[in-house]
Amino acid sequence: MEIFQYTFMLKAFLAGTLIAAIASSLGMFVVVKRFSMLSDALAHISLLGVAIGFLTSIAPSYSSIAFTLVASWIIEYLRQNNKLYSDSILSIFLSGSLALAIIIVSASASFNTSLFDYLFGSIVAIDDTDIMIIMLLGLVCTVTLYANFQRFLYIAFDEESAKASGINTTFLNYMLISLVSVVISVSIKIVGALLIGAMMIIPAIIAMQFSKNFKNSVVYAIFISIVSVILGLFISYYASLPSGATIVVLLLCFFMISLVCKKKQY
Amino acid sequence: MVLKNFKDNVIEAKNLNFKTIIQNVTFEIRRGDYAAIIGPNGGGKSTLVKLILGLIPYDSGTIKLFGKTPTLSALKKIGYVSQGISKLDENFPISVHEVVKLGLIANKSLFARINRSDLEIIDRALIKMNIEDLKDAKISELSGGQRQRVMIAKALVNNPQILILDEPNTGVDKQSQINFYALLKDLNVKENITILFITHDLGVIVDDINKVLCINQTLLACHDPRQIYHSEQLNQLYGVDAHMVCHHH
Repeated sequence: MEIFQYTFMLKAFLAGTLIAAIASSLGMFVVVKRFSMLSDALAHISLLGVAIGFLTSIAPSYSSIAFTLVASWIIEYLRQNNKLYSDSILSIFLSGSLALAIIIVSASASFNTSLFDYLFGSIVAIDDTDIMIIMLLGLVCTVTLYANFQRFLYIAFDEESAKASGINTTFLNYMLISLVSVVISVSIKIVGALLIGAMMIIPAIIAMQFSKNFKNSVVYAIFISIVSVILGLFISYYASLPSGATIVVLLLCFFMISLVCKKKQY
Repeated sequence: MVLKNFKDNVIEAKNLNFKTIIQNVTFEIRRGDYAAIIGPNGGGKSTLVKLILGLIPYDSGTIKLFGKTPTLSALKKIGYVSQGISKLDENFPISVHEVVKLGLIANKSLFARINRSDLEIIDRALIKMNIEDLKDAKISELSGGQRQRVMIAKALVNNPQILILDEPNTGVDKQSQINFYALLKDLNVKENITILFITHDLGVIVDDINKVLCINQTLLACHDPRQIYHSEQLNQLYGVDAHMVCHHH
């Protein structure tokens, strides 16, 4: 097939499927903790990190990861200590970071175009370093989830009981939010800050409708996410459409179909 | 052979204080007790349970578990059923088997998996709670009474010496409540598990429990529940003209 003759497309398939698997598996925990807005808030904070990176001539990838990590720890601290409602915290961080990013961009018009790439992503502009980082991140996520899957599930299901049983819920909550923030920071260059939230959340919501247990839900979410990325890349290549947006629109289509199928079950 | 002392204190609180919610509370729960905590909403019942479990630190006073300062190993001998099940998100995709399995997780090392003997323990807990046929069901599809049994099964997999339940009957119909209390009594008598639970249904269980803790910021009474049938303490506890309607069974 013509599409596989191009190295950049092969890299897009590899990076896309890896991000799909990582984001959707973490997304399952985010959704059942009723923290779906987290991914959008962190994506916007990540964008602010990129803008500051451009402004200070620090590599945007590094500044983005650093900014998102610190912000995620503040969000988790506020959530754990019941300082504010979770959705209020996320709204403040989401709009606040976007506002700051816009001010920085308008103050320095020279990097407008580069920042635009991070807003919508470019899955076909992946280099070997990106692939290496995503593979490393995939390995870290896999090992962490393998070791702590049941603990994360226990905390999401009943945090109080998990804590009473002796599980270090504080540490594990920080660990999970840190992983989510790094995955989002790394992914926004490829998928886009405005779209990564959808890749993390929609597969989980679809999977939850068809599974009676959590383990299968995670498997379904990963499958749906990978299928969307592969199909989306094919469609975007042959129809000359932006890849990230095509993937998200496909996910939305799958979500609509899932709603119809679910309704027919009852 | 060493004879076990069935009357030793398993929970002791002395002059316990936490903010203005718990004031100078002193009580003891003995091994084999079947005890209820009653009191008005906001009276500090759940806070007291959280203090016992070490979920929140107290300001002053002491708590002893099994005669000693609480340690992680002592806390692992306590099974806890939180109010969480009554607030369960109906969309949460988790099966009965998965929920019961969670009870074993805290005792597992990082990369340890659930093995054959763990699965047998889970199966035994499901059979004991008479919910083995429901093990693959999604928990949100179960009735309130069935969900309670799942949560007890989750607590039982660790072979607890004490079972603490925070308002286990919220949103459950009267018949299921009666069945549930019969189940708890069974665990108390046959398995010798000390049971402490928060309830508003004193009338349902007054014949079965041997101790009641009346809490409204401070401990108003800690004694045989039959003593408060016609007691002024009920009025004092709830701040209104309260009386108990008993459902003998």
